[in-house]
Amino acid sequence: MPGWRSLALLAAAIAGFFLPQILGGAAYGALVVIALFAVMAYGLDIVLADLGEVSLAHTVFFAAGAYATGLLATRAGFGAWGTLAGAVIAAAVIAALLGLLTLRLREFVFSLVTYAAAVVAAAVAHNWDFLGGSDGIVGIPQFDLSIGPLSLVARNDVEMWPYAYGLLLLVLYLVARFRRSRLGILAVMAHLNPRLATMSGVDIARVRLAVFVLSAPVTALAGWLYAYQRAYVGPDLFETYFLVLMLTAVVLVGRRLLLGPLIGMALVLGQEKFLSFGGDVDAIILGSVLIIVLAFFPGGLAGIWALIFRRRETAAPAAPAAPRPENAT
Amino acid sequence: MSLVQQLINGLILGHAYALIAIGWTVLLGVARLVNFGHGQMYMIGAFMAWWATAPLGLPYPLAILVAIGAGLLLGLVMQMVMLRLTLEQNLVSIMIVTLGFGHVLRGAAALAFGGTPQILETPLSLVEFEIAGAWITAQDLLIVGAAILVFALLRLVVEHGRLGRTARMVAEDPKLAQLAGINVKRVYLAVFAFEGAAVALAAALVAPRTPILTSIGFEEVIVTFVVVVLGGIGSVMGSYVAGVGLGLFTALFGGFVSPAYTTAAAFAVLIVVLVLRPGGLASARAVR
Repeated sequence: MPGWRSLALLAAAIAGFFLPQILGGAAYGALVVIALFAVMAYGLDIVLADLGEVSLAHTVFFAAGAYATGLLATRAGFGAWGTLAGAVIAAAVIAALLGLLTLRLREFVFSLVTYAAAVVAAAVAHNWDFLGGSDGIVGIPQFDLSIGPLSLVARNDVEMWPYAYGLLLLVLYLVARFRRSRLGILAVMAHLNPRLATMSGVDIARVRLAVFVLSAPVTALAGWLYAYQRAYVGPDLFETYFLVLMLTAVVLVGRRLLLGPLIGMALVLGQEKFLSFGGDVDAIILGSVLIIVLAFFPGGLAGIWALIFRRRETAAPAAPAAPRPENAT
Repeated sequence: MSLVQQLINGLILGHAYALIAIGWTVLLGVARLVNFGHGQMYMIGAFMAWWATAPLGLPYPLAILVAIGAGLLLGLVMQMVMLRLTLEQNLVSIMIVTLGFGHVLRGAAALAFGGTPQILETPLSLVEFEIAGAWITAQDLLIVGAAILVFALLRLVVEHGRLGRTARMVAEDPKLAQLAGINVKRVYLAVFAFEGAAVALAAALVAPRTPILTSIGFEEVIVTFVVVVLGGIGSVMGSYVAGVGLGLFTALFGGFVSPAYTTAAAFAVLIVVLVLRPGGLASARAVR
């Protein structure tokens, strides 16, 4: 029943909005960051899960969104609507350039170029005075989306929550729409059966470019709001931490599950926020989770869940269930 | 500095680059594997060499061996963890896993060695002499000599020896190789152990030139990418030529244009090569 389904979704969305209040006031900061970083991960998610390519340049799109916001807000006096447009355009342009350059490269060469791009972008941000150099950009004004008489301002995490949550819902909707769209279907087809796609007259290179360019602004949206939330933009945004964080969030729960990256991000950041063992040990934990999931549980937490349930159901008959071959990547 | 001085500087740098990249070249050419944790393995190798000399007080040649041993072990452990992915030829997951290893290594190094920059002082780096107006150290000569030696040995082994033939057979068709009685797992483990040992050797020799921090390794990764792609993926001789060429380019660019943007310039070289020859060296293998 589609009617019931959308009603349940609406109820869940409304309930989610009150989550920080239920968890107590201190949760606002953590939940804002989880929502923002989940948005960041969704950009990578559609490239990794649907297209089957490993883009290591999404930290660049994240930073591009934040830097565009910081530059436009402090030097050109743009409001949040203006910086929103700037962030989206900046990321899309960089993605289009990178995508065109790597149009005919696949698999590891594509990843190699995107990784190199991320490292080089970090070096440029450190050295280029226009981008603030190592000091970054300070003094980003408060978040202000006001339209005419309607005042939409966020001065702190509590006031930021509706916008972060709204952005998350918007991106979830976009990703769900994308997966049902023609482009989304073509992406999966180009990923799983490129020969069939080519024979069906699909221009794989164009599909890949389109998905890549589409994914960049999604990640940049997170950078846009993060710049306001932190009131500071610096070259630390290019850290591989963000890259490993995104990758872990995307693969931890299971691929092509709409809520997967969100839950993954909540688990990772929850550990770092409430069960932290210090930055270095947290880095070891984060990297290890990524390794263990991919090396031993390619289906992610959802795969483990399914495995346990299948075991329980097939426990009664004597014949052991043959392990179904996992569809790796 | 004059042109001649920059050229000499570039030659030394180029041999260092070739040495740093050799593990990846073999990994890719012989086993069609990749390692995005390469830079962090370089960092660990540098720290191990420093740790063996300064806190432990071992002589430098022994410190090199300690670093190589650590790198070899690290490579083995990584490949053991990834063995299933390797046998599946799941390159997408291997890339992400090696990236995860890089992150773990960085965290572990920060825990073990702290945040202070260290200098690896070797007896050879104190011996200086002048060639055509350029001051170079005995350490620089060691780098050049070691690079030439490693490449010559490798060419002998990989391109003419039985070992190289076996490994290339595994790369070409793992299943067929297994049927032919080759222990495929052992070949993969050996190749990754070589990658670890090679990058650690490079680190022990090259790291005395710069301060050692847990955040180093990224520049080395870019250099490796450029050398591997420029030299023709998997080609041993190509890597050597590409390494020296890139070293000369970097020295000239750093000396006459801008020292801050040498990594960016190396990246530009990578892009130009890929755009000019996308079908030749890059996609032919990848599309497979």
